[in-house]
Formats: sequence, structure tokens, C-alpha cells
Amino acid sequence: MFILGIETATETAGCAIGGHEGVISSTHCSSPRRHAENLTPAIEFICKQAGMSLSEIRTVAVDVGPGLFTGLRVGLATAKAIAFALRVPMVGVSSLDLLAFPVRFSPRLITAAIDARRGEIYYSFYRQVPGGVQRLSDPVVGSPEDLASELLAAGDEVLLVGDGAHRYCEVFEGLAKVEVVDRANSTPSAASLVQLAHARALREEFEQPDAIEPIYLRRPDAEINWTTRHD
Amino acid sequence: MPAETRDSMVPGLPSGDPGPDTLVLGIETSCDETAAACVRGGTEVLSSVVSSQVDLHARYGGVVPEVASRAHNELIIPVLAQSMVEAGVEGPDVDAVAATTGPGLIGALLVGVSAAKALALTWDVPFVSVNHLEAHLYAALLDEPDLEFPLLVLLVSGGHTMIVEMDGHGDYRLIGQTLDDAAGEAFDKVARFLGLGYPGGPAIDAAALNGDPAAIPFPRPMLNEGFDFSFSGLKTAVVNYVRENPDDSTEDIAASFQAAVVEVLVAKARRAAKASGAKALALGGGVAANSLLREQFLGACADDGIQGFLPSRAMCTDNAAMIASAGWYRLSGDGPSPLSTGANARDRMF
Ligand SMILES: [Zn+2]
Repeated sequence: MFILGIETATETAGCAIGGHEGVISSTHCSSPRRHAENLTPAIEFICKQAGMSLSEIRTVAVDVGPGLFTGLRVGLATAKAIAFALRVPMVGVSSLDLLAFPVRFSPRLITAAIDARRGEIYYSFYRQVPGGVQRLSDPVVGSPEDLASELLAAGDEVLLVGDGAHRYCEVFEGLAKVEVVDRANSTPSAASLVQLAHARALREEFEQPDAIEPIYLRRPDAEINWTTRHD
Repeated sequence: MPAETRDSMVPGLPSGDPGPDTLVLGIETSCDETAAACVRGGTEVLSSVVSSQVDLHARYGGVVPEVASRAHNELIIPVLAQSMVEAGVEGPDVDAVAATTGPGLIGALLVGVSAAKALALTWDVPFVSVNHLEAHLYAALLDEPDLEFPLLVLLVSGGHTMIVEMDGHGDYRLIGQTLDDAAGEAFDKVARFLGLGYPGGPAIDAAALNGDPAAIPFPRPMLNEGFDFSFSGLKTAVVNYVRENPDDSTEDIAASFQAAVVEVLVAKARRAAKASGAKALALGGGVAANSLLREQFLGACADDGIQGFLPSRAMCTDNAAMIASAGWYRLSGDGPSPLSTGANARDRMF
């Protein structure tokens, strides 16, 4: 059972194909604001690399965020259209889960943080469990200082991963028990997406292309302003 | 896929050229309508589904880009699915996928472009990039394929106000355009100012029915100068008038404002038609639904002895049938667009 994974939550766009045998082909490209140009050719490329046709895909997995809105929608629209055209189900996975999964062998409190722009980050906490990680809290949006004080209060040894940690490294560098994972692992991995989606697909935890939606965590500015004026 | 297989999808035609049987799936998401349509041979509309977000934007008095992008992302698959069901079309029947790549709201455009390219890749058929304004010209030809070239189109909507001469497929000349606000934008702003609600076009139209169009002599901006338009001064004139005459009838103001806009639009279009020797004059864009504009436009064409054409309301407003139609002609002219095509908010057709 082959799975196509599509990941566009940060400034990096990635895609991968895999199945029982693990990841067969994957590619990532970091070029901000060019997700729409890069993604479809990248999918075509990994199919060629894997020597297969898209028609062999049985599940389309997609990173549903949180992350940069426009990037997420490029990935979602692409993934949903492919699933629709192939008449196959989808699996949605959070960008923060994708950051935590590759560092799952650490016993520390794993904290995934994605740059949310405007001086904020999206973040969640994870613990190692057999075969992966378990998310301890729903993703939230807040300032890097909010996260720093939560980490201080928890008092655990912390492994901090994600481009949100690098963007605001000055906030986290001084914290005694916090180690920031290197930049090479600071964006969600499409290969992890395929691996996590494979487990979900085996359990038949599917979603349909007309129902799967991004995790925004922020309302549009106009809506916030309107509500403020009318409350 | 080998070339022979792709050719076989377009029976009887050389190397992938579109023919009368070529079925194009069109997608339009440039502003606040999520639309998909199936059109055969460039002119036969098998389905045209439009999901308007107008209610989502009404309380903001205009289209909010982030709200529009979110809605496109939610609606794109249901709208696509419906357009294929209504047309009785399955994936393998589709010969090409066309999408608006600009001009429009960048985040909104990207949803449609991404979905269209993904479909083209999955079905292994050509993707075609379509300019939204060019597609508006094809809307008139979809409703009336016998329109003769050179054809002059007066295109008026919330986003555009222009007079375009079409000398043939893919052969256009910009005759005039707005220097500031689009006509539809002026309708929205004046309607909001008068407390008539959103969208402004239908609101002004309805209020004007009970008003006197000759009550207030609002300026006719640039009436006799060239073919360009300017509506921002007219909007200011309305605002100033209402400040000075707060007790005047809203209906009279709406009717007088509408009369000024329509007079300028029609006068320039007929003058442009005479100057260019056009054989036919057509209306396009959402403002073409305005009842006074329709009446005066047809009257002017009859007076001048030129073929005048009013597309149906569904063809005037944003839709995907016009995208599929323009896509069919573009495919025959320029061929497919690469899968590395992106969206361009300021895409130009001239
Ligand atoms: Zn339009």
C-alpha cells in the first residue's frame, strides 16, 4: 500500500512516497513563497525516482499545520485534489507531530515549535512512547516568552525542535535544561509524514478529501477586528 | 505517459491539439467565487458550478483575502465534485485542466492553481494557465458563439473596468481602463456610505428603482475625454453631497449616482466601438447585471446599428465555464502550461 505525503507548513515544501518498506523517495525544497511552483513538479519527480505512477497511491497524507497559512493551503489543495482524482482516502498529520517524531528516541520532554510570524510560535509537548511519541497537549499559539516560562515551570530536561526555536533562539539559549535541535531537523519531514500516516492507514483512521482542513489556530485579522468592534 | 496515449484522448487530431470533443475542466478562485466547470470543445457548457462567498464577506463590506482563501480551500473539492457529477464526467473523460492564474488575490488564486495542477498531474493531461480578464471576454463568446470580430467588450466588475478590443482568439487590444476605482468598487463604496449594504451593485440598483435619476446632477468624470475611466471623484462628490444635504432621499442619490456611472460607461463604449470599427459590442463582468446599464447599453447599440450582446447574468459574473473555454482556445494557441506555473496576482493580458 503506497502512501504519498505532502508537507508545506513552513518555508520548506516536501513530498515523499512510501509504504510497508519505509520511504522509497522524498524531496524537500526550501524556497519561501514558491510552494505552488515547486510542489507539483516535485511530486512528479519523486514518482519517477520511485519508478511508479501516481495511480498506485492508495492514501494521500498531508501536513495539516499549524504553519504558514498560504503554504498550508497549497499543500492541502494539492493533496485533496490528488486524493479526489484517485478516489483514495486521506490522513492528516500535525506539523508539530512531524517535528517531534524524528527525535523520538530522547527521554527528555520534546517540545516542537514552529514560527508563526508576528513574534509568535505554534507549539506542543511530547513524550517518548514505544514506537513513537505521544502528544501531551493540543497545539497552541503564543510568544516565545510564553513557551520559555512554561519550560522553566515544568523543570524537565527539554529537547526543543523546530524553526520556531531557531527564529527566537535568544529566548531559549539561556535556559539551563533546554537543548535546541540543529537546523537540519527544524522543518517537518515528509518522510516522517509517510511513516506516521502508514500507521494510521493500517488502523484505517482515514479522512475524506472534502472534509480535511488545516489547523489555523488564528482567526483572520478582519474577523478578530470585527468581533472586537461588535462585542 | 507515452505521447501516443495522450494523443488518443483527443481523437482524430494531431499531437494533442484540442478539438470539438476535447473536454476541459476549468477552475476559478481569483476572488470570492469558488467555481468549477466542464466545457466541451471550447463552447459546450456541460456544467458550471459557482459557490459564492458573498455572505461571508458581507459584514466586512468587501472581500477579505484571508477569509476568501480559507473558504476556497473548504469549497474546492465539493465544487469540483459537483461540476463533474452535473456534467456526467469521470476523471478519465477530462482532457485538460485549466485554472485562473491571475490577476486576483494571491492566496485565493493559489488554491485553484494548486488543485488544477494536481488534477492534471494525476490524470496525466495538460494543465492550462488562464488569465482571468481574457476569460471574461470568452464569457460573451460562450453565450453567443456567432459574435463577429473585431469584438469590443466593456468589462465592468468589482475588480476591473476596461474596454477591450478582441480581433481574434488570443489577439487583444486595451482601449481604455479605469485610472482609479473599478466601477463595482465605486458601487460598493457608495452603497456602504449610504447604508445600503453589500454587495453594492444590487443594493444601489434596487434603491435606484424608487429614485429620480435626474434629481442630483453628479459629475460625469472624463465623459468626453479619451477612453479611460475615473470613478473616485464621483464617489467623493456623492459623499460631499450627502454631508451637505443629509435629509435628501437615499433613493434619489442612489439613482442619480447610478445614472452618472452608466452614462459614462455607455458613452465611452459606443464611442470606442465607432472609433475602432468593431462589428459587435458585448458586456462582461459583475456590474453587467445592473438593470440600467443593460437597458442603456442595448439602446445605444440599437441607435448606432451595431450588434450588441448581453451575456446571461451567470456568464457576466465570475465563473469557471469561461475559464475552461479560454483554456481550450489557449491550448490550441500556445499549448499546455508547465506544472511549475504559479499564480500571479498582477498577471496582465496586454
Ligand atoms: Zn472577474
